[in-house]
Amino acid sequence: MQEKVEAQNILSMNSVEVLYDNVMLAIKGVSVQVPKGEMIALLGSNGAGKSTTLKAISGLLKAERGRISRGEITFQGTDITEALAQKRVEMGICHVIEGRRVFEHLTPDENLTAAAPRGMSRSTLNAEKEKIYGYFPRLAERKNSQAGYLSGGEQQMLAIGRALVTQPKLLMLDEPSLGLAPFLVEEIFGILQKINKDEGLSVLLVEQNALAALEIVSQGYLIENGRVVMHGTAEALKSNSDIQEFYLGGGETDFHNVKHYSRRKRWLS
Amino acid sequence: MDWVFLSELAINGALTGLLYSLFAIGLVLIYKASSVPNLAQGGLTMVGAYVVLALARDVGLPLWLAIPLAAVVMFGLGFGIERVALRRLAGRPVVMILMLTLGLDIFLRGTTLAIWGGTSRSMELGVSYDPLFLGDIFISRIHLVGAGVALALFVAFMLFFRTRTGIKLRAIADDYMASWSVGIAVERGVGLSWALASVVAVAAGVIWGEIQGVDQALSLLLLKGLTVAVLGGLDSILGAVIAGIILGVVENVGADFLDPLVGGGSRELIVAAVLILTVMIRPHGLFGRHDIERV
Repeated sequence: MQEKVEAQNILSMNSVEVLYDNVMLAIKGVSVQVPKGEMIALLGSNGAGKSTTLKAISGLLKAERGRISRGEITFQGTDITEALAQKRVEMGICHVIEGRRVFEHLTPDENLTAAAPRGMSRSTLNAEKEKIYGYFPRLAERKNSQAGYLSGGEQQMLAIGRALVTQPKLLMLDEPSLGLAPFLVEEIFGILQKINKDEGLSVLLVEQNALAALEIVSQGYLIENGRVVMHGTAEALKSNSDIQEFYLGGGETDFHNVKHYSRRKRWLS
Repeated sequence: MDWVFLSELAINGALTGLLYSLFAIGLVLIYKASSVPNLAQGGLTMVGAYVVLALARDVGLPLWLAIPLAAVVMFGLGFGIERVALRRLAGRPVVMILMLTLGLDIFLRGTTLAIWGGTSRSMELGVSYDPLFLGDIFISRIHLVGAGVALALFVAFMLFFRTRTGIKLRAIADDYMASWSVGIAVERGVGLSWALASVVAVAAGVIWGEIQGVDQALSLLLLKGLTVAVLGGLDSILGAVIAGIILGVVENVGADFLDPLVGGGSRELIVAAVLILTVMIRPHGLFGRHDIERV
């Protein structure tokens, strides 16, 4: 039974702890499973440990002097806890990092070329590019302008397209909706859903915008203070009263409690 | 005004300038692939020249074989520098890497001094020193050869930066973290840029070694090379070529006017003025990339 569950999960992260600079504990035993072909969301507020979780999976922790001090991560049954970032991309994990970070002085087309895996033939690369331009027609229109001058939405599309060139099996996105107008968020999330459906691409989505994220994912994890505090299907999370109150902006607010809470906070700090 | 004399000054200035470009291309290569100004390029150039001499004189190979072989050795040295020294510093503040390249320059100078001593050795390329006349204008043959090498390297690297590998190097210079995130071999890319710059250093070392002899003074080319690279915009190869020509002409013609007034030595002043004014007035140089700030 356990074996079967493992086989269905493309990614399995078990009780992972991350240390920065050997002292600061950024996540404290996070376990996350991504079933093959599904879209999963990591929700939570600023500094909760969502980005660190993604970096632990993609191997980018090392660049920020962080390391996994406990726990293990397996991808398609292989232990990748110690693997280099480059190796993980080759295996099929691609991480769209926070803040878009396109190669600003390159054209969008060159951005896609830069991400081509070693040994990818010219014809395969061109086919990949055509497919990406098909998903994001706006990029095709501006493919020879300078990427730094694209709009925020276009840059986010380019960052996703650039990740797709690596032919990932698991795509991880860190706050793709950050700073974008609601209609753009809807457009980009719609495209992600389409790619997920068309190609069976598994997606791990980190979002503060829980409302938008829960519309497209099947399950969600709520992370607070470096720990998973809640896990359930998107439906269950949407109807949970705490989630509604703190992350979806709904529910009734008891102002007496709010006041009490903030007063207590002041004492603490 | 003697127009023939003036154009002779200008043309020879431009040729000398292209030799500065030859040196500056090495600086630009590394900057373009890792956003680090390499203060060890002077040391590398000197080592390049010494390696050629070692292969030609001490081992006894003919020059046509010694130069490509030295290029291979230096290519390896460039990779080695990344592997041993730079890799630990990837992602650290640029100023640390800058200090490291300065230390490397001192190290290379010390090493060559220890191995080959301080006396000047000649390159003996076999290029004729007979004057070459273009109309009434006298042109130095070795400068013409060097300028040709500079232009050939310029064309080769312009093409290189359009290839997939070249695009990856430019991507690395733009954003290390984003490069890692899509699986670009950042460390290997930086190593490759150092390796290519070391090969350029061999070319510059051979030409300049022929002109002024092979000794410790070769490493001082860094000052003029850096001025050219900064004026050109640090990350633009075209900029390095054009800035080299500009600096060469301004220096040669300007010195002819100023030297009688100040009693000589104005060349260095002109170079210093160009460097300082560029940084003050146009910090990204003639062709350098602007940092993009969208509003």
